[in-house]
Amino acid sequence: MAKWGMVIDLDKCAGCQACTVACKEENSVPHGSPQEQGQRREIYWNRVIAVSKGEYPTVRVEFIPIPCMHCEDAPCVTVCPAKATYRRDDGIVIQDFRRCIGCRYCIVACPYGVRGFNFKDQTEEEYHRPDLPPTRADRGPWPFPQRIRGVVEKCTFCFHRIDQGLKEGKKIGVDVVPACVEACPTKARTFGDLDDPDSEVSRLLATRGSFRLREELSTHPKVYYLHG
Amino acid sequence: MSVSNSDLSSSKGRKGSRSSVTRRTFLKVSALTGAAVAASRIIKYPEISPLASAQASTEGVITEKWINTSCLNCPTRCATQVRVVNGKAVKILGNPLSEVSEGEICPRGHIGLQVLYDPGRVSGPLKRTNPVKGRGVDPDWIPISWSQALGEVSARLKSLRDKAQPHKLLLLHGLNTISNEDMIHRFADAYGTPNVISGDALENEAEKSGRWMADGNYSHVAYDFGQTNYLLSFGASIIESEKPLARNLRMWGKIRRERPTRAKVVVIDPRYSVTAAKADQWIPINPGTDGALAMAIANVIISEGLYDAEFVRNWTSGFDEYKELALNYYSPEKMATVTGIDADITRQIAREFAQTKPAIAWIGRGVAGWPNGSYNSYAIFCLNALVGSIDAPGGVIYQEDPKYRDMPEPVEDDAAKGGKAKPRLDFRKTSLFPSAEVVTNQVADSILNGDPYSVEMAIGFNSNFNMSAPGTWRWDEALKKVPYYVHIAPFISEMAEYADIILPASTFLEEWAYDHSPPGSGFAEAKLKQPVVEPLHDTRGITDIIFEIAGRLGGTAAQSFDGIGGDAQGFVRYRTGTIVPWQEFREKGIWVGPAYQYHKYDHIFNTPSKKFEFYSGNLEKALKKTGQVGGRLACLPHYKEAEFLGDRGGYPLVLSTYQPLLNIENGNQNYPWAQEIFLVMHGVGWTNFVEINSQTARFLGIRDRDTVWVESPFNRIKVRARVIEGIHPQVVSIAYGQGHYADGRWQKGIGVNPNEIIGVSYDQLSGQSSLFNTRVKVYRA
Amino acid sequence: MDLTYSPIEGKSRGYRIMVAILSVMVAVMATSYLVAYLNGLQVWGISNSVPWGQLITLDIYFIGLSAGAIVVSGLCYVLRREEYKPIGRIAVFMGLLLFTGAMVCVLVDLGRPEKFWRLFMYGYLNNMTSMFAINSIWYGGYILLMLVYLWLALENKTRLAMIVGTIDVLWAIGVHSFTGAIFGLIGTREILFSPIKPFEFIAAALTSGTALLILVVVVAFKFSKRYIDKKVILSLGRLLSIIIIVLFAMVFFDKFTHIYFPHRAGTVFLFTGHYWWLFWVFQIGMGLIIPLIILFHPKAGKSVKGVVIASISVVIGVLGERAALVIPGTAQVQQLYPGTIEGVWGAAGVFPITLWETALALGIVALVALLFVVGLKYLELLPTTEVAEVGEAPEASEVSEASVSTVEAEG
Repeated sequence: MAKWGMVIDLDKCAGCQACTVACKEENSVPHGSPQEQGQRREIYWNRVIAVSKGEYPTVRVEFIPIPCMHCEDAPCVTVCPAKATYRRDDGIVIQDFRRCIGCRYCIVACPYGVRGFNFKDQTEEEYHRPDLPPTRADRGPWPFPQRIRGVVEKCTFCFHRIDQGLKEGKKIGVDVVPACVEACPTKARTFGDLDDPDSEVSRLLATRGSFRLREELSTHPKVYYLHG
Repeated sequence: MSVSNSDLSSSKGRKGSRSSVTRRTFLKVSALTGAAVAASRIIKYPEISPLASAQASTEGVITEKWINTSCLNCPTRCATQVRVVNGKAVKILGNPLSEVSEGEICPRGHIGLQVLYDPGRVSGPLKRTNPVKGRGVDPDWIPISWSQALGEVSARLKSLRDKAQPHKLLLLHGLNTISNEDMIHRFADAYGTPNVISGDALENEAEKSGRWMADGNYSHVAYDFGQTNYLLSFGASIIESEKPLARNLRMWGKIRRERPTRAKVVVIDPRYSVTAAKADQWIPINPGTDGALAMAIANVIISEGLYDAEFVRNWTSGFDEYKELALNYYSPEKMATVTGIDADITRQIAREFAQTKPAIAWIGRGVAGWPNGSYNSYAIFCLNALVGSIDAPGGVIYQEDPKYRDMPEPVEDDAAKGGKAKPRLDFRKTSLFPSAEVVTNQVADSILNGDPYSVEMAIGFNSNFNMSAPGTWRWDEALKKVPYYVHIAPFISEMAEYADIILPASTFLEEWAYDHSPPGSGFAEAKLKQPVVEPLHDTRGITDIIFEIAGRLGGTAAQSFDGIGGDAQGFVRYRTGTIVPWQEFREKGIWVGPAYQYHKYDHIFNTPSKKFEFYSGNLEKALKKTGQVGGRLACLPHYKEAEFLGDRGGYPLVLSTYQPLLNIENGNQNYPWAQEIFLVMHGVGWTNFVEINSQTARFLGIRDRDTVWVESPFNRIKVRARVIEGIHPQVVSIAYGQGHYADGRWQKGIGVNPNEIIGVSYDQLSGQSSLFNTRVKVYRA
Repeated sequence: MDLTYSPIEGKSRGYRIMVAILSVMVAVMATSYLVAYLNGLQVWGISNSVPWGQLITLDIYFIGLSAGAIVVSGLCYVLRREEYKPIGRIAVFMGLLLFTGAMVCVLVDLGRPEKFWRLFMYGYLNNMTSMFAINSIWYGGYILLMLVYLWLALENKTRLAMIVGTIDVLWAIGVHSFTGAIFGLIGTREILFSPIKPFEFIAAALTSGTALLILVVVVAFKFSKRYIDKKVILSLGRLLSIIIIVLFAMVFFDKFTHIYFPHRAGTVFLFTGHYWWLFWVFQIGMGLIIPLIILFHPKAGKSVKGVVIASISVVIGVLGERAALVIPGTAQVQQLYPGTIEGVWGAAGVFPITLWETALALGIVALVALLFVVGLKYLELLPTTEVAEVGEAPEASEVSEASVSTVEAEG
């Protein structure tokens, strides 16, 4: 079974945030508003943070894109009472909207702050995709046609693309990648099978120094960062 | 002993007495559970309409197509692919066939969906009923039909021509497709007005004139970025705002990690921009002194013999004068006090620049937008020549553009000829602005002064100078003065509020056009724009509108538009017919020209000496023509001292501005995806700030997020302060893109527009508006 | 002592007004819930940064109070201490109602409450590593046990009551320990993460439960003019003081350990961040220091009034303690990467007090109170012995009669 992971090259990342926008576009994630940003209620499946150090003139700001880490020991999976978030065999931590009871325990437990709660229904006028959901069997993992209030959502590594790609016999990580990886203009993001020694992600991890966020928490995230 | 009466029972000896509690609770609980289970069955998720689909991809798809078109959210015009499902555009990606962007787009490309589906768009022609015009005045629009609108506009145009005053028609254009621009120019020619004003002089015209002084090409510099090994950026935020942005982003990834040699990047900028954050070295510089630094670098390169002697000897002229100037007046030690940069740092980067081959000195907007912008650009451009980076791999290259089919000459009648002979409103190529091709900001003053003549009618094509030009208050007054203004755009911007008629234009995803990117790739690439959806509203493409109006004008105006296609699609097909077969163009969306040839030294220099000129013969000619006699220095690259608006005593800080990447450059910012992540460096959206150095802030008693006034000699605005480390202590900076006051749920009343306090001054040679030389004072509100 | 119990008359004007006010508040609660349900939880003060707010604070508070009340009821039914018999039934009833209130809090806090049944789908749709799922067993069993316990108490089946009571007391401790574990095992939130959390919770439950019981007893007995020996109150007060010391020790060692690395940042945020007052003023000041001062004061600690004031302080302080866990616990910035995280991603969370959430929370409190006062009227909860004035000793004959009898025929 594959073990899907992502490698983000912080040296190449230009902080353009194409990944953030493309993800919203692909997954019909609700957009925010000035009030919601002040109230910390905006939902992002991927976000780019800036971390600064130093004093003038020796300043440093780093840009770090943060999707869901799809941890191997995901705290969110541990604490979800209704199995609304669970780990698939291929390592993707998926979110089933049918099951989510909206208790928000997962948001408390997530060390990376990548989960968002729907505090309101997504508005009709917001652009959304008429071609979702996939088959009825997958209806749970897909919120459609627009978000309903009261459930939590997060990045899914674009599982719909991966599943579709596998069905069509395409090479995941080469022909088929999540929307953020596809959108990155500097090609800083790579996706693939961490268990496959021939995959690009494995090659990158073998040739360059990498780290993961908050490694001390032993969540074993599957998003690796190459030093900037 | 008193005992309560009713309901009294000793709890002994009563069978089944108080089990009503248990029963009650049980009933309650079960009723609740039952209700809850029932509720979860009744509350259905909204159903999508049941569809039988042949598509394998996803349920719910009836039709799916990918359409190749291109973007227009900034001047780069990247080639895109749009996925349209059931008639709705759902996804935008880069066109992998594009070699300019190598199939990539920046986030603005994706935001095209929100531009298309913007609920704030104008849905049909509008007519103004409130004769009063002003900022914040409600025009009281009433909807009218296209025939009525076009009829009225044509009638006005006709009457102006009949009065033999076609030159009093002013055509303004902001960000439009190249084909629309070609149409606008043709209309101006056929109609008879010389007054076609683009927004280019608000960008970096000075860069064009600076390099024109050296090699005679009045265009943006293209850099072979992907092959360079050393990038010295002067005020250029290459991966944040310099065009062609998507190409820059792709090349960035390439030069940093995808080649055996990693390119070194040094950024010289008073502000720690996104590019500076990703670069290897950030060198803060005193504002406006980049020319001095460039000359100091030249000094080091020449004095240490590090220049490309062969290139200099064979392909340049005027080197000796240049050398003497650099050596005698621009030692790094002397320039250290001017630029604020230590001499050893200057020497370090000069040596690196000269000895790392190939190298690029990149002229950014930050050095062009000054009164000395042309000379700054000239001085920096010459550095490239010094190290032989002219038309060489990894250096400056000369952009090829698609050679569209030539149109027949427009048919001119006497009115047209007479009109075009009149002096221009923007005084370009006069003694005021000797080498300028357009002086955008001057037009406002010309209108206000009625000089050289009054303007009777104006048409704006996607223009929004009431926000994007420095000294916005003058545009407000000027637009009030114009008797009849027609605005053509998909939405009502700040400028549109002064319109008498609004003709709603289709967005770039709904129209036919051809486009090509600004200089950057070297090789030519033509991009198609074709509608991805039927126009959502009662809108028309600008080309179609012009065809219509020309037809209604009749006479020579109509004749000038004969035989070039008839409508937008026809026009695009006609013009690109010589380049690429129409079917192929429609399928692929792009045409890529032949590979770039380097070292074309025999025909890239349009100079008197046919060589790269360190002493500008072109400028000498232009100055002579306009009756100005300068000394030798005027035609040499040199540091012309930066002029500021406002005195240092009263206004101790210098206001700088920048364009964050998520600034959508179409005059509108009503897009939540762009707004919510607007400033990546500050981790916030929905706002902008005045960014101020922490030491300066401490001195002024300003803390992070305090509300402050930023006051220039002209005006003042209230905004929150952002106290940061990454900015020169004497500079404050405000991001463009906010401060809209036109309607727009996601833009109105958000942030501030720095142009409202920036004063009016120009780089005299090019007409470029100075953007960064207004002095301000900042104090707590 | 063979006590008889009787309900209150419930016909006085004061009673009717109280019922009326509480009913109005419950109606407001229903309205505010409807508003929240239909509009989404945007009408509350919670956010992605502080996802749990007043409702969860109230929930764990109520669970604590309930567990505390049940444990104190054990003094009467498990340890069979005679002097606590007058308050035994009240304690069990309080335990049941408070827990009902807690369950209402949990239910209304869910984003999609109609799916709450998923919590009980053991093995199939349920994830038993989740404390919420584990607690569904604890909480479900707890309700059943309390219902049986109350019924046995009302029926005066003292022997069975002792057995069930014992189980219930232990179960109550289990319930609240595992409620504490909900927070204690979240490794990413430094303020929450601690193996002591369950014990801290139990100690807080005992203090607040005892304190609330003291207050309810004093007030209920006063207004229904029933007799309660003030020695009962004072001994509860002594019990309270001891438990407060235990709680103090727990809190002290938890924070003391976490001043040292690796979880120092959380403690610093709790101590000095913008929610410092929840910790210092409420949790420490009102929950620990002030009551200890009062209870150990030679005069005040030995007066009913002093005990009552200390109890009020504890009740408020422990609510603050719960809030000091829930709010700053999640408001603390997650340090994803060394350096200053700019903008909203690096800003500590804020939790505003909003109208609908407050109305709902107060409404649930009113609901519990309403059920309580209605229960006083229809159930035999209070001992029958009446006195004309508070604090008066009952007539000598009654006392001697009552104390003489040692009827325990029903075992």
